[in-house]
Amino acid sequence: MADLRSSLRVTIARDADVVAARQRGRAVAAEVGLSRPDQALLATAISELARNVVNYAGRGEALIEAVSQVGRRGVLVTVSDNGPGIDNIEAALSDGFSTGGSLGLGLPGARRIVDEFDIESKPGEGVRVRILKWA
Amino acid sequence: MLTAQQLNSDFESKTEGEIKKLLSWSAIEDADVERIASIASVSEDFSDAVIQKFYDHILSFEEAADMFASESTLERVKRGQKEYFRQLTAGVYDQKYFAERKRIGQIHETAGIGPALYIGAYAFYLNQVGLELLERVGSPEEAFRLHLSLLKLAHLDMALALQTYVEARETTIEAQQREMSELPTPVLQVKAGLLLVPVVGTLDSHRARSLTIALLESIQSMRARVLVLDITGVSAVDSMVANHLLQTMTAARLMGAHSIITGISPTVAEALVKIGVDATSLNTFGDLERGFEEAERIMSAHREE
Amino acid sequence: MPETPILAHSGVLIASIQSALSDSEILSLRSQLLARISHKSVRGVVIDVSALDVLDSFATRTLNELASGARLRGAQTVVVGIQPDVALSMVLLGLTLRDAETALDLDAALGLLESAAGRRDG
Repeated sequence: MADLRSSLRVTIARDADVVAARQRGRAVAAEVGLSRPDQALLATAISELARNVVNYAGRGEALIEAVSQVGRRGVLVTVSDNGPGIDNIEAALSDGFSTGGSLGLGLPGARRIVDEFDIESKPGEGVRVRILKWA
Repeated sequence: MLTAQQLNSDFESKTEGEIKKLLSWSAIEDADVERIASIASVSEDFSDAVIQKFYDHILSFEEAADMFASESTLERVKRGQKEYFRQLTAGVYDQKYFAERKRIGQIHETAGIGPALYIGAYAFYLNQVGLELLERVGSPEEAFRLHLSLLKLAHLDMALALQTYVEARETTIEAQQREMSELPTPVLQVKAGLLLVPVVGTLDSHRARSLTIALLESIQSMRARVLVLDITGVSAVDSMVANHLLQTMTAARLMGAHSIITGISPTVAEALVKIGVDATSLNTFGDLERGFEEAERIMSAHREE
Repeated sequence: MPETPILAHSGVLIASIQSALSDSEILSLRSQLLARISHKSVRGVVIDVSALDVLDSFATRTLNELASGARLRGAQTVVVGIQPDVALSMVLLGLTLRDAETALDLDAALGLLESAAGRRDG
């Protein structure tokens, strides 16, 4: 099988870019063949991650890639920034972290609705979150 | 459906003891193995001739000729045959050997070559080998003994191939049965705004999810305000299924429709209580009749002005 | 991006979102609606979100804030037109509209507000 891997880079600097990032993500998801509900889930996860970039780092980017593996295709989205990073990733990933307040990062939610999720962050060196959803 | 690879590794996991048992069941003894191994070098010389005759025979039939239409396919299977003959006469009958036999059986099954064709072709093949042995091996008696030993092994091969056929057929039947139990759930419009969904069969995670999506889309296309989910026909409800039902009801509510569940049997109710599902959150109403009464109540409450 | 039109119709404010909204546009819509409730005898707010293909945690939170703010001023909020796949995503994310009512479309929302008014007055 041909290694189908097209990619798309979206700069995230303003809140309108959050909308752009999730719309691009959804378009790629549709091309790759994700079901409509899965397209919505991926778009929602991108929205949560991109908003964190605007709110906490000010500037970053989303890299949206169509990927393929034996017999299946999917969309890989890497959202990264060079902001202050996350001190306590475990806490940020726990559901309680966002309780009540407006400080929730939407990370636990985003993790729940994608097939693969990983996050790397060091204080002062930014955050990189990768999410993948298979068709 | 199991892939050939999975079947293969399944078989490879068979213990050495089981393989010994198979060999002794076919009365394949050390003497047989030694005898066969002794012609390994001779067999190299005549395998090409046997294989050539074998394919000349097969290709005289139209359906087989179609199957090997391209020269490259034919070359490939001929090489495969040569390798098979090498393995057959190598005198090593271990897990790898039997896994390979199983794999070949799988390929034949997939290609639609039934047992009758397979065994018939095998008989022709063994016949050719026997004739070659008569010509090339010292005495006719020696050739005959050698052929008898080969026959034992060949029959074991055929037995394994047949087993593969049966297993593959079983897998197909299972898949069909599974498909039957997964027949799409009908969404019935009882009257304007009221949908009835009789859920039947087993709800696994995958099916529950597609049911949820189908229901939500029906709410939109049929402009439903109340949804009655009748689960009389659902054999078992575990926490996963209960959770899917709750998710469906919550999503339906977001779209503006109310959901009612009917037909929870006493056993299912007991199971739900045991796993800690809050019955009130499922909005249950005994039987269908009570469910419809509640549906009417909700619909008229919203219509009053 | 087209501004979200807000219509007033016999005591009900109707906002029809036309296309995807950024966070600041959602906030601005919330402020506009709350401002109009305060100086008019508004009993209901209907927000049509059928044009949205994503309702994430921020949008949901803002809608909830709008609904509870409106309630403090005596108005009920109805969110209409949540798409099937959006509804499912919200549920899987654990997002709920606890302070707003929901309805399939504008007609159903207006009926809902009418019957609520009927109950209150009767």
